[in-house]
Amino acid sequence: MPRGQKSKLRAREKRRQAQSEAQGVQNAQATAAAEEQPPSSPLPPFGGAKSQDEERPSTSQAQPSTDRYRRTPLDDKAILLVQFLLRKYNMREPITKEDMMKYVIKKHKEHFHEILRKASELMVLAFGIDLKEVDPTRHCYALVSKFQRTCDDRLRGEEIMPKTGLLMTILCVIFMKGNRATEEDIWEVLNVMGIYAERKHFMYGDPKKLITQDLVQERYLQYQQVANSDPPCYEFLWGPRAHAETSKMKVLEFLAKIHDTVPSAFPSWYEEALRDEEERGGARFAALLGTGALANVRPRANFGSFSHL
Amino acid sequence: MASSVLKIVFSPSHPQGGTGRAGVMTDVHRRFLQLLMTHGVLEEWDVRHLQKHCYRVHDRTATMEALEDFINNINSVLESLYIEIKKGATEDDGRPVYALVNLATTSISKMASDFAENELDLFRKALELIIDSETGFASSTNILNLVDQLKGKKMRKKEAEQVLQKFVQNKWLIEKEGEFTLHSRAILEMEQYIRETYPDAVKICNICHSLLIQGQSCETCGIRMHLPCTAKYFQSSPEPRCPHCNDYWPHEIPEVFDPEKEREAGTSRASKRSLRSRQH
Repeated sequence: MPRGQKSKLRAREKRRQAQSEAQGVQNAQATAAAEEQPPSSPLPPFGGAKSQDEERPSTSQAQPSTDRYRRTPLDDKAILLVQFLLRKYNMREPITKEDMMKYVIKKHKEHFHEILRKASELMVLAFGIDLKEVDPTRHCYALVSKFQRTCDDRLRGEEIMPKTGLLMTILCVIFMKGNRATEEDIWEVLNVMGIYAERKHFMYGDPKKLITQDLVQERYLQYQQVANSDPPCYEFLWGPRAHAETSKMKVLEFLAKIHDTVPSAFPSWYEEALRDEEERGGARFAALLGTGALANVRPRANFGSFSHL
Repeated sequence: MASSVLKIVFSPSHPQGGTGRAGVMTDVHRRFLQLLMTHGVLEEWDVRHLQKHCYRVHDRTATMEALEDFINNINSVLESLYIEIKKGATEDDGRPVYALVNLATTSISKMASDFAENELDLFRKALELIIDSETGFASSTNILNLVDQLKGKKMRKKEAEQVLQKFVQNKWLIEKEGEFTLHSRAILEMEQYIRETYPDAVKICNICHSLLIQGQSCETCGIRMHLPCTAKYFQSSPEPRCPHCNDYWPHEIPEVFDPEKEREAGTSRASKRSLRSRQH
């Protein structure tokens, strides 16, 4: 966003803020003072924890010098919200207003928007991460990097091979099954490729360990129990590193290449992949697609086909 | 600028921060932070590459700062958010590692939004067993036997096994042969919290004075040292002696971690990772 626009918005906001903040600070301070102790987190106080006041970020080390400006309780909440958001950044699941209220905002509910605004600014300035509202009806937010991914965001530009082909397949299946796939779904596909859970594979070794542990440790996949499943069954999702190093569009291109076609041949997935690109600020990328220039994804030769899907 | 907290720390339009003591935050630093967060915890070598990569992407012409200065710069900016890039070392072989940590002392509750109440309690129980243990490891059996005492929804042992695996995957715990200890990331993030919550049970290294989970101890006077601290302390001693009581040090002295040796070994990173026990 051009700086000029943002400064104008800020100036307008500043005027409005100055009025409401004077009020808000008084209210917030009154609330903080009336706060019950211990803090109303879902956890009972754990082993003699000494923090008795409303949850404020604090350390036993010296505070950073802020003598020219005193932080308001809302600033403190904004900082706590930033910490909360950072933890959610890697989860790549939408963050709900409900969660933010429950874990961070708590008794400052009426100042939600202001706290959110402050936290968003901090996120952008410190980390280059945008907080976007992705679902206004359900108040869901997502954290999106302002930066374009580069192919070298993988450390040292090294390929993730020999697991890349297998990983891309799994990411593909997960995407096609609506961003989460049961373990059963995954094995169905891998079995077609001659990869079995109980059988040692000449290239992948112990495939079950590879996909449920190794790739998860490396944060390419998330492996979790399906909620309320009894007997427990498990599902896979993309891990934070998969999100960082590749994209839905890349994965769709991979699939398209295998089928000797183009991503737009799969209209609903293509739409979703385009939306994902937009979210990532990939307007430039979409233009590239239009000219037929594709990113450098090559399906490995030892791949089974996807024709049964 | 609208947000007053930022007045103290940031000034995107001017290279010098308002207070004159804050650092300069550019896209190089922001991308670095994003990637560090994505990985959770990184070894030093990877961190150096990461830094180089970020410069390459955003600011080819600039001279790259020394890593220490680069990180101190970032930390001076993040200070007002109570977040910092902390450097530690793996307890078993002294590899330097870095993680972005939250300095607020309400530490376990940081995990609260990621895990259910009974899962958090399972972590607490495991943590307590680890801290109380002599070796710094708690056996799977002992942890699972506490499943009935957990707060929140009832959890079966089979489920608890999966939850423990989740902790391993999220780099809070490390598993070795059916026993669990704290991941270096957990130690980085929770040291202060652990020291404040378990002041009597907690063990401290006699050399570096940091939290000690795994280490060696003197059989005479009981002081403890991290394995990498022992390695450094006794590096050129033909006859290692306890720094406290001067009695003969009865344990095998490990090697000092040498990043150069690692690189020369020439084994590819990927295969090395799968051969070594799961640290990172």
